[in-house]
Amino acid sequence: MKFLSLAKKQKVFDEKLKTSFFYKGKHSINWYVLVPTIALVVLGIIMVYSASSYTAEQNYGNSMFFVQKQIIGAVLGLGVCAFCYFMNYNILIKLRYYALAVGIIFLCIVFIPGIGIESYGAKRWIGFGFFSFQASEIAKFCFIIFCAGYMAKNKDRLGTFKGALPVLCAGLVMCFLIMCEPNMSITLCVGALMLVMLLVGGIKIRHLFYLLIPIVIAIPILILIEPYRIDRILAFLDPWASPQGEGFQLIQSLYSLGSGGFFGVGLFNSRAKYSFLPFSESDFIFSIIGEELGLVGAVCVLVLFGILIIAGLNIAKKARTRFGCYLATGISAIIAIQVILNVMVVTGLVPPTGLPLPFVSAGSTSLVVFLASVGVLLNIHRQNTQNLSYMLFSPLKAN
Amino acid sequence: MLKNKYSSFSLQKRLLAIMIAVIFLFIVIFIKLFVVQILQGQTLQMRAISQWTRDLTMSGLRGNITDSTGEVLATSYTSYNVYVRASNVTDAEDVALNLSEILGVDYQTVLKKAKDRTSSEHLIKQQVSYDDARLILTKNLSGVYLTETSTRYYPFENLLSNVLGFCTVDNVGQAGLEAFYDSYLQGINGSTYTESDITGLEISSSTTSYTVGISGCTIELTIDVNIQQILQTIVDTAYLEQEAQGVHAIIMDATNGDILAMASSPSFDLNNPPRDDVESLMQSSKNSMITDIYEPGSTFKLFTLAAALEEGVTSLDEKFYDQGFRIVDGQKIKCWKTNGHGSQTLVEGVCNSCNSVFMDLGLRLGVDTLYSYLEKFGIGSKTGVDFAGESSGIMMDVDSVKNVDLARISFGQAIAVTPLQMLASVCGVLTGTLYQPRFVKSITSANGVTKEFSSVAKGQTVSSKTSEQILYMMEQVVSKSDGLYSFVPGYRIGGKTGTAQKYENGVVATGKYVSSFVGCYPVDDPKYVLLFCVDEPSAGQYYGSLVAAPYAKQIFSGLFDYLGIEPTNLDEDLEKLMETIEMPNLVGYSLTEAASIIKSMKLQYEIDGEGGYVVWQSVAPGEMLYENEIVLLKL
Repeated sequence: MKFLSLAKKQKVFDEKLKTSFFYKGKHSINWYVLVPTIALVVLGIIMVYSASSYTAEQNYGNSMFFVQKQIIGAVLGLGVCAFCYFMNYNILIKLRYYALAVGIIFLCIVFIPGIGIESYGAKRWIGFGFFSFQASEIAKFCFIIFCAGYMAKNKDRLGTFKGALPVLCAGLVMCFLIMCEPNMSITLCVGALMLVMLLVGGIKIRHLFYLLIPIVIAIPILILIEPYRIDRILAFLDPWASPQGEGFQLIQSLYSLGSGGFFGVGLFNSRAKYSFLPFSESDFIFSIIGEELGLVGAVCVLVLFGILIIAGLNIAKKARTRFGCYLATGISAIIAIQVILNVMVVTGLVPPTGLPLPFVSAGSTSLVVFLASVGVLLNIHRQNTQNLSYMLFSPLKAN
Repeated sequence: MLKNKYSSFSLQKRLLAIMIAVIFLFIVIFIKLFVVQILQGQTLQMRAISQWTRDLTMSGLRGNITDSTGEVLATSYTSYNVYVRASNVTDAEDVALNLSEILGVDYQTVLKKAKDRTSSEHLIKQQVSYDDARLILTKNLSGVYLTETSTRYYPFENLLSNVLGFCTVDNVGQAGLEAFYDSYLQGINGSTYTESDITGLEISSSTTSYTVGISGCTIELTIDVNIQQILQTIVDTAYLEQEAQGVHAIIMDATNGDILAMASSPSFDLNNPPRDDVESLMQSSKNSMITDIYEPGSTFKLFTLAAALEEGVTSLDEKFYDQGFRIVDGQKIKCWKTNGHGSQTLVEGVCNSCNSVFMDLGLRLGVDTLYSYLEKFGIGSKTGVDFAGESSGIMMDVDSVKNVDLARISFGQAIAVTPLQMLASVCGVLTGTLYQPRFVKSITSANGVTKEFSSVAKGQTVSSKTSEQILYMMEQVVSKSDGLYSFVPGYRIGGKTGTAQKYENGVVATGKYVSSFVGCYPVDDPKYVLLFCVDEPSAGQYYGSLVAAPYAKQIFSGLFDYLGIEPTNLDEDLEKLMETIEMPNLVGYSLTEAASIIKSMKLQYEIDGEGGYVVWQSVAPGEMLYENEIVLLKL
């Protein structure tokens, strides 16, 4: 009798879960996610201040130019994060096709003159008056929602090539659009994200290898299309060959990191930030961290990211629904991919490519979206930990 | 637990694989970070610092050059280079106006530079004086920068221009002693290191560090600026009066090889060398008394004489007969006096500078003996003076010297020496010891450590007896013959004149001579030895006794004045000068008649042209002449 009533309760609960906008369950916060996130955001604000105050003063006459934006982004982002924590992530599954459409539309809008903003030879931003954001920052999360939703709904079809095709198509379209901006690094991120999603979605390992073959072929072709990429790669192999040209940025980054040593030159004491290291407040902020806080500081930052990513993947592991599992994996994966790629660029492990460090690099779009995704992660965790007895009987619950 | 039936891996395993991949990549990153930050950290930091700091040179001033009395001949003072950094210029017109006014540079040029942002800095003017630099600073022009540099200054301007040499605008020795002793004179530059941003802009929190520049060493020369000034004045006078190509003179201390003075005319202002004209700059850069050679002529006879006396092939009172020439191996070699000096002792032969006597001596010695003496005297090899570009002179190869050549070499033809070499060798013969000539006495570093250089004796030349005999004859030359042109009453000077034809491209250049005089004082123990050369005198006369000796007299007078040497036996000497002879009229007389009149009046004569009768005489009738003074007669 008790069983029946529990089953009833569960059914009622499930129905509510599908439809209610806010999740009404108990509060439970995954501190392994929240604490590193907050720490990284705070560190980000401090480091953005340190890295940008000089150049901001020089270029905008306001040393707080980037920090102000970053603080606004952090406040807004934490708001959105809280909102995502309180809402019910399950409703996102219904929005999967909308999400895909929004992502692709955003990526197309970039090319519309007047709305798309061109800078440094690339069309990456969408601008509405005072407000502008990077389309791909939003598009990649749209892609996660779509993939997670589609794979959860079609959980049995991923084993076939046909079943995996929609994910593949969505991913490739996005990759193509981002590449047209052009933005090689985000393209790589979305590509890698797609592979992770397919892997976790249950694609056959054999199929995964088939997928890797065209990618391996595509890389040299992509390089040949844009000759500047060859220079970038050569510069990566031997940055000292062209210290004033292509190798410049990497050399400056290495100078900065190398000067840090074990304990760094001290907070705010970076020298590379005096306009030597381009994008020191955004794509290359990790160099400034390494310089000011040393190897110790740099490793701490990476450990924070590591805790966050592992915690995210753990949430995925314990997810009560497939959608939640896929969503948490996607969010953890995009954080991991961007962190790894960014730090590899900064340390000269891969050719230089512009990619922000999540939570830390200056850029409010990125900050808001990542914080929102952390909110979703926390939301999934919160739902995982509901001490409902039905879980004992029926842990395999799709949707 | 979620499961996927199509997969060989469970979802859990797939998530685990992702985790492991993430951890693996993180470890790779940790390793790379360790390599960059710790293993390569030092190297990267070194490179980084050199990029992150802007270093401004604080020039260590170039060392001074002083004479032996401590008088500064060359010094350096701090000056400033003015730059414009276009990116920091707010008002280009104002900058251009002020700078062109203060520095006297072209307004348009400055304006262009002040607006040109293609290069970070533009040099406006180098070596700007302190006062001008201050003036610029008070104008407070944005975008205008000053850097410290130094300017070389030569207080005596033209004096020693061929000896001291000069520097480039960057203060690197370019010629003369400045070049030879450049490594000692160079200061070690210090720097200020200022932390700056990529454009070179100083950052506000910057700490500036310094390394102090060290001044170069002070070099003390053997030159005495007082003697130098005496010499230069007279050299310049001779240059003008003789309308010469050049006049060169050196005074050397025979007891140690110190060069006391070395002057040339024309000279140039060292503070303003002709930098824009490469050819004249090259000309100014060299010291022809060291780098160029000339045929010495009769002054060279001293060496033949020394060798002959030392070998004992002649004695002072041996009689020689000169009919005006010698025939050597069937070739007729003339004495300068075409009708001959007649019978004469060796001493008279030296006084007459009779070529025939020296041909005899040379032929008696033979090539090998004469050459071995010349080698001892330093002829044919570099003196080793501390100066760049020294020439060793030209000497015929010993194996190819025929008797004809030997005869010519004996009186100073068919051989070439540098003036300095000539003088050093004369000193060697007169003192018995050959010294290496030198300019530098000591070098003192900025922290007061002094290195004294001792003079270098290169070897013995002849016995003191031979030296004494030569000195005796040189005194006879000055006090008894050559019309007393170089005779300074009350002082015992020895001397020998020389006149040599110049060669151009291997051929005798008609009408071009080098007239020279070597003299020494005191004649009983020579210390001051002078060589005076007039290159291509063109004011009418060319005999060394007429063109060079009178200036030597002035130089010695000045020298005695400066040294405070009192005359001895002045009255006797003055009496000698009182014994004047009234010049008779010789125009219209036949050559033989004129010759006998002149001889009877204890005068000497020279003949110019062919013919039986005198048509012109160089000294007007009734003029007073000294004993043995030379009169030129035209036939």
